[in-house]
Amino acid sequence: MVYFANSPDRMVPDALAGFARVHADLVLHDEPGGFLCARKPSPNRRVGLLSGGGSGHEPLHLGFIGAGMLDAVCPGRLMASPHNRQVLGASRAVARAEGVLHLVKNYTGDRINFGIAAERLAHEGIDCARVLIDDDVASDSAESAAGRRGTGATVLVEKVLGAAADTGLGLHELAALGADLAARCRSIAVASAAHTAPTTGRPAFELADGELEYGVGIHGERARRTVSRPPLGELVGRMTEALLASLGPAPGESVVALVNGLGGVTRLELYGAAHEFTLRLDRRGLTPERILVGDFVTALDMRGFSLTLMRADTETVKWFDAPAYTPAWPR
Amino acid sequence: MLDHYAPEDDATYTGAAFTEGWMRRFAASARATEAQLTALDQRVGDGDFGVNLMAGLDATVTALDAEAAAAPAMPAGDRAGRPLQAAATAFLDGVGGTSGPLFGLLLEELAVAAAGPALDMTALRAGLTGGLAAIQRVGEARPGDKTLVDALYPACEALRVCPAEAGPRAALAHASRAAWEGVRGTARLRARRGRASYVGERATGVPDPGAVGIGLLLSSAGATVTALAPLLADPGTAVPH
Repeated sequence: MVYFANSPDRMVPDALAGFARVHADLVLHDEPGGFLCARKPSPNRRVGLLSGGGSGHEPLHLGFIGAGMLDAVCPGRLMASPHNRQVLGASRAVARAEGVLHLVKNYTGDRINFGIAAERLAHEGIDCARVLIDDDVASDSAESAAGRRGTGATVLVEKVLGAAADTGLGLHELAALGADLAARCRSIAVASAAHTAPTTGRPAFELADGELEYGVGIHGERARRTVSRPPLGELVGRMTEALLASLGPAPGESVVALVNGLGGVTRLELYGAAHEFTLRLDRRGLTPERILVGDFVTALDMRGFSLTLMRADTETVKWFDAPAYTPAWPR
Repeated sequence: MLDHYAPEDDATYTGAAFTEGWMRRFAASARATEAQLTALDQRVGDGDFGVNLMAGLDATVTALDAEAAAAPAMPAGDRAGRPLQAAATAFLDGVGGTSGPLFGLLLEELAVAAAGPALDMTALRAGLTGGLAAIQRVGEARPGDKTLVDALYPACEALRVCPAEAGPRAALAHASRAAWEGVRGTARLRARRGRASYVGERATGVPDPGAVGIGLLLSSAGATVTALAPLLADPGTAVPH
């Protein structure tokens, strides 16, 4: 086994126990309930913010629990949706006067389990709304009913919505803002090697030397295309064009950019990609108001990176800049 | 033993003893057909539907036994929905996968609708129709997608057109026949959503296991189902209520 772990089954529970211990000043771990929540949540919120999803994408979502971002997170097993019971328990724990908002990445399992929890909350009289994050342009297809996958933009939406929630916005205002934010985000990811599956110890898929998976997700699924590997500048140029074609920003519009490592690439490489990315955005007259570089939304040890763009007006940038007290938000 | 819970001498009775007997017969039906359900799901899905359904129903029976032990004589003012709520919670909290919790949503809507001493026609219609709506909101499946909706939707239609004076037990018999017709129809469908959508044409000819589960639920209101084959061959043979 490639991983340092007691066993594949112990990876998530051991990491959660460690995380809760290390960040005991910021988070509370309800182990039987299967969720973690903020120890010192933002005092002014009228709506609790909750997210969750399969494990293996750390620091998402756990790292973003705390004042200014998420009130609670429900981690599932490795790359598997959390159970509706976890979402229900966490929602009850963090719902405010106007209820709870679920931030859900667009995957069938997550949609169904958060949806079941929402039905149960309705029976209990707790108001609940959902923001669906669907930024991955590689899964944009007219033939599929499933829609675009939710990937790197998740962390941007969690940050901006968290700051907006701190201003005391209500449930429906936040849900509308979240839908608008999600619509303003696009991502694309590439990988030169798949993640290692913990149960088999083998790569989730095989790639030859010099090949690149173009348009990967974060669960070890193959992309639609395998391409021969171009130099970094050419690759980032192609990714940038794909993002801009889907997002359609006006020249001169402000954007927030994210260069995200998928778990197995170095910071040296990510800054190289950031250089090529910002060069191209500058050339297109798009001002990256803020640029984040690092591992935010990973796929175990996948050797790859993603690029995300969010069209950002002045207020969005202000919310992006607002302080957050979480284990992993870098600013 | 099971018939103890559904007094046969009074075909109009639909109180808590009836709904409890219904849930216990549902468990007995699933146990009797679990191997067949698993075999079906291995052809169109990941093969875990029979196990998940049984897990929910074992937890249901455990919860019902615990309630019976705590209050051996059914209290006056007992709600018809109480045993249904025990089943709903067992499915929603205890079962993995997606089909199991979806059954929980249906049972929860039935339980909430059956807030009175009897499961009357109004409660039955509201519960099943509300359950269908909840399942469609969450699972986003439509009739024709080869999912459990293809059994539940015609069952709701049958309830809607069934005259109120027929009474809930006869209405459930109509609904279960309509559900089994729907189950048979799923064998002809190609899946667009749900478990069978991943195997494409290979699922053609095989009825959807989730839809079979709905058929088992509704038939068990009348009697325990011991074999799927007669119902799959001819829904008109649906067990008497």
